[in-house]
Amino acid sequence: MSLFNRSDKSAEAKPTEVKPADTKPFDPKTIDAKPRDVTVQPSSQTIKPEAAQKAESAPAKPVEPPRPASAAKPIPTPTPMKTGAIMASVISKALKITGELESTEDIQIDGQIEGDVRGVGVKIGQNAKVKGTVYGDEVELAGTIEGKIESKKVILASTARMTGDIWHQEIKIESGAYINGSLKPELGKAETRTTPKPAAANTPSVSPVSTTAAAATAH
Amino acid sequence: MLTLARRSPVQRPGPAPAHSEDEVPPSFVGPGLGIQGALEIDGEIVISGMVRGRIAALRLVIASGGCVEGDVIAHEVVINGRLNGRIFAPTVSIEADAEVEGRVFHTNVTVARGARVSGRMPWRPISYFENLDKLPEMRP
Repeated sequence: MSLFNRSDKSAEAKPTEVKPADTKPFDPKTIDAKPRDVTVQPSSQTIKPEAAQKAESAPAKPVEPPRPASAAKPIPTPTPMKTGAIMASVISKALKITGELESTEDIQIDGQIEGDVRGVGVKIGQNAKVKGTVYGDEVELAGTIEGKIESKKVILASTARMTGDIWHQEIKIESGAYINGSLKPELGKAETRTTPKPAAANTPSVSPVSTTAAAATAH
Repeated sequence: MLTLARRSPVQRPGPAPAHSEDEVPPSFVGPGLGIQGALEIDGEIVISGMVRGRIAALRLVIASGGCVEGDVIAHEVVINGRLNGRIFAPTVSIEADAEVEGRVFHTNVTVARGARVSGRMPWRPISYFENLDKLPEMRP
């Protein structure tokens, strides 16, 4: 810019134009940009910030509670709508599901599920309990699973408690995680469900029976 | 199974149940999530996805785009999506975008202009809902 200006305009115009152009990029942008980037990075990491948002939203609610559920029609409705737009599905700790979940999005599970879970990114919280098979592209376990995990990427947190086999391609296990079962890194090589053991057992009921049998033989 | 009636703060405006409700963040069934089976929640659930099966909750919101096939027991039901099944709730509000097919057992009901409702809407006293300790599948 400044070069063009010099050639086009008179010598008097140069200093005035150059000074603001130099000062602007240095001070505010460069200084502001760093902290912004830092804050952005964690938000891009999968689901963690969403959990934080939930945590924030939870304490915010107690402001409203004086109204009983029946009286508070208009107000609570918008909040779920907002959260719905932002975050993926949440199975909170008060929720108990008997049946199957199938999702094309990420799921955060903090409740109890008896049945299979299919999702893209599945995050199972500390107090969560799942009885059944968890399928996903990425499964993060901090709670309890009794059954099986079939996921390309598996992360077991230190609080994880896994009873059953883990079929994976990639796995991370933090120290403290409890695993009672075997790790099978050949997910996708042999078709997932047509494992020899369940096929031999030919149990129509889904995971718990077959996996416990598999676990028993493993030990 | 459904401990709703026992814990229900239907008529009791006591502060304790209200707190227990609000400590729990609402569950959210996103648009991409489909659930087949029974849901029991000691709190609030918002459904934007698809649920096939019965739901027992303190408060159920079927957001617009959400779809429920099955019976529902709650203290309060807000419908802005589709529901095919029976509702058992003292307070029911059917919003403008709602599509409801089935019976709506209620004590207080609101139906917004534009809602599509096909089915009967029998009134019941609040005591009826307090005594629902399980889903009255065989009841009218």
